[in-house]
Amino acid sequence: MKVTIQKWIGVASWKWQVNDDNCGICRMPFDSCCPECKLPGDDCTIVWGECSHCFHVHCILKWLQSQNYQDQTCPMCRQSWKFKTH
Amino acid sequence: MASNQASVKSTKLSVKNFKPKVRLPDAGKEEWWNQLREAVRAIHNRCPISYNREDLHKAVGHMCTHSLSPRLYNELKIQCEEYTKASLHQLIDDFMDEMAYLIKLNSLWKDHCNQMIMIRGIYLTLDRTYVMQNPLVLSLWDMGLELFRKFIVSEQTVEKKTIDGLLSLISRERNGETINKSLIKSLLRMLSELQMYQYHFENKFLQVTESLYATEGQNFSQSLEIPDYLSFVDKRIKEESERCLHYLEHSTKKPLLTSVEKQLIEYRKEMIINKGKTELLDTNRLDKLKLMYSLLARVNGGLDELCKRFSLYIQERGTSMVMDTERDKTMVTELLDFKSKLDSVIELSFDHNPKFINTEKDSFETFINRRTNKPAELIAKYIDMKLRAGNKEATDEELDKILDKIMVMFRFIQGKDVFEAFYKKDLAKRLLVGRSASVDAEMSMLLKLKQECGAGFTSKLEGMFKDIEHSKELMPHYKQYLNNQKIGHNLDMTVNVLMTSNWPTYHPMDVILPEYMISYQKHFQQFYLSKHSGRKLQWISTLGHCVVAANFPLGKKDIVVSLLQTLVLLQFNKEDEISFLDLKQRTGIDDADMRRTLQSLACGKVRVLHKKPKGKEVEDNDVFAYVSDFKHKQFHIKINQVQMKETLEENINTTERVFQDRQYQIDAAIVRIMKTRKTLSHALLVTAVYEQLKFPIKPSDLKKRIESLIERDYMERDEDDAYQYHYVA
Repeated sequence: MKVTIQKWIGVASWKWQVNDDNCGICRMPFDSCCPECKLPGDDCTIVWGECSHCFHVHCILKWLQSQNYQDQTCPMCRQSWKFKTH
Repeated sequence: MASNQASVKSTKLSVKNFKPKVRLPDAGKEEWWNQLREAVRAIHNRCPISYNREDLHKAVGHMCTHSLSPRLYNELKIQCEEYTKASLHQLIDDFMDEMAYLIKLNSLWKDHCNQMIMIRGIYLTLDRTYVMQNPLVLSLWDMGLELFRKFIVSEQTVEKKTIDGLLSLISRERNGETINKSLIKSLLRMLSELQMYQYHFENKFLQVTESLYATEGQNFSQSLEIPDYLSFVDKRIKEESERCLHYLEHSTKKPLLTSVEKQLIEYRKEMIINKGKTELLDTNRLDKLKLMYSLLARVNGGLDELCKRFSLYIQERGTSMVMDTERDKTMVTELLDFKSKLDSVIELSFDHNPKFINTEKDSFETFINRRTNKPAELIAKYIDMKLRAGNKEATDEELDKILDKIMVMFRFIQGKDVFEAFYKKDLAKRLLVGRSASVDAEMSMLLKLKQECGAGFTSKLEGMFKDIEHSKELMPHYKQYLNNQKIGHNLDMTVNVLMTSNWPTYHPMDVILPEYMISYQKHFQQFYLSKHSGRKLQWISTLGHCVVAANFPLGKKDIVVSLLQTLVLLQFNKEDEISFLDLKQRTGIDDADMRRTLQSLACGKVRVLHKKPKGKEVEDNDVFAYVSDFKHKQFHIKINQVQMKETLEENINTTERVFQDRQYQIDAAIVRIMKTRKTLSHALLVTAVYEQLKFPIKPSDLKKRIESLIERDYMERDEDDAYQYHYVA
């Protein structure tokens, strides 16, 4: 008997690749979303700073808005905040 | 008034001549007396009156104007009295049977009435003047009645015989004989005219009735079956009200019916309800139930009793449905049938009584939660069955109705999180294998759940739908990406990417895939991560499935199988016969899954593998070979996976998971309460928590949570009183 696969419907699940379980600003798990959102995933993504700390995008934007434009820092390590680009 | 006005207008005074008072000639007077006496006698003897009535009338008028009225009245009274006294003997002397006696009395009464009317006709002036002017004097008609009462009916023997006669007539009618209704009616009218109805007749009649129905109630309620007894009571009540219509006085109706209801229903209500209810509900006899309802509604507290019993019945039946593990498979259908049956009973027999509707709801809630978790699980499974593709028994509209019905059941369930866990598991299967019957039905179900439990309950379920949609959108891009990569194999790969937290947890299994499959996986991974940075992908091999082309010696077939099944089949490309242990080793599938996979391939409906030795279960030493003479009438074949038996372990897992989720809710509730109250004793805290939480908790678990909160410094024990807690801000 010769069997060949013609079609494959695979299933994979994704998680955020993060060191910490919770967002340092809102303390909600990264698997969940920030307190303002209802659904996790693309609607409430996670962003990394060049200092390698990560937060919910909504959380960090809120934080940055509350700061002076000149000295925007990471809330965790006080280094100046820059979005990490892949 | 007219004359008054005239006198005011006219100024003329006319003087009338003096008229001497007309005196009656004595001789004429005497003649009038005689004539009148004669006339009354004639009336009494039923002879024609030999005088012109107008003359008689005039004579009376003259006498009245000449102030002879008192004498005239007295003479007439004496004459009538004598006559009435004399007629008594007709009743006393003869020995007559009851009927004849009553008829005689009736005719006597009728005669009396006629005679009095005629006499009154002649003496009308007397009635109009003398009687009117003297309030103490009875009118002629009343005088006649007074005489009749005094000298005839009040005579002891007559009274007794009359009342007895009437009662015996009525009792004969109650026994089903036809009787002379107009006779009774006329005699009872007589009694009431004579003011004797209430005191002399009614009281006695009610007594007799009461005792009759007391015995009847006693006897029939035991000898008759309840349905028959109910119709009997109904018949009796109808008869009695008809009796009131036909001949009893209106005022008797209320006490009479009350007494019947009391004896036949109120005193027997418990028996009626206890004995009849279960049977009637079981056999669904709506008409009798309606009768029971309407009868019980007549008496005090009857409906309360019925309602209580109704609730007991529901709980009893329901509990036996829910608790019986043998009947798990049919539980939900049975519950649905039961509910719709009870609904129709309430609608058709119980008059839509809101009290009963509430009772039904409460009772359902009580019994359905007697057994924790299982009903919720079975309801979830039932919905899965209805929503799964290939379920063609219902159109969309019917399906929606079924779902509405099942939602009613769902409302009763307290442990909604258990339901969610199982529903999610099934939904995942439907979505991943693409076996959902219709997206519309899924969405409408989701909407129903959302309406019922709020957006928080369904947010993850919605997330699952979204994941599937996103994956679909992603696929064309992936295909494009693959085309640029130029891989040797021509494999049509689709991937569903799930967001881990939305879906049930699947245990990862590292299976050994052929190299080209691994390269496909790697390509996809690269592609996906380039689109979504910062994510980690994990493959769930247990959920994947494939379409494989199999070249059997007798023909080529397309088989739809799971990924694990595919891996097993692939092994037979190189060898014809492989042992169980070898298969396990070569594929990397774990033991339990391997056994199920082989079972599905070698022991299911469609068998592509031979198992040696034969048997249902897969043993360690079994050897497998492909079926060389495989035949099937279809080209496209689907091999079902063997459903993982809901092992005890797995069930415990689900329950455990549910409990873990519940812990947060318990914690939150405790903190919420403590935050508002600041200081609270243990007992009060526990009751407050039970009030807030919808699902059942064991007191010991609750204690553990309190303990853990104390450890985490959310609250502390009082230094003196160990049962007193303080909130720590």
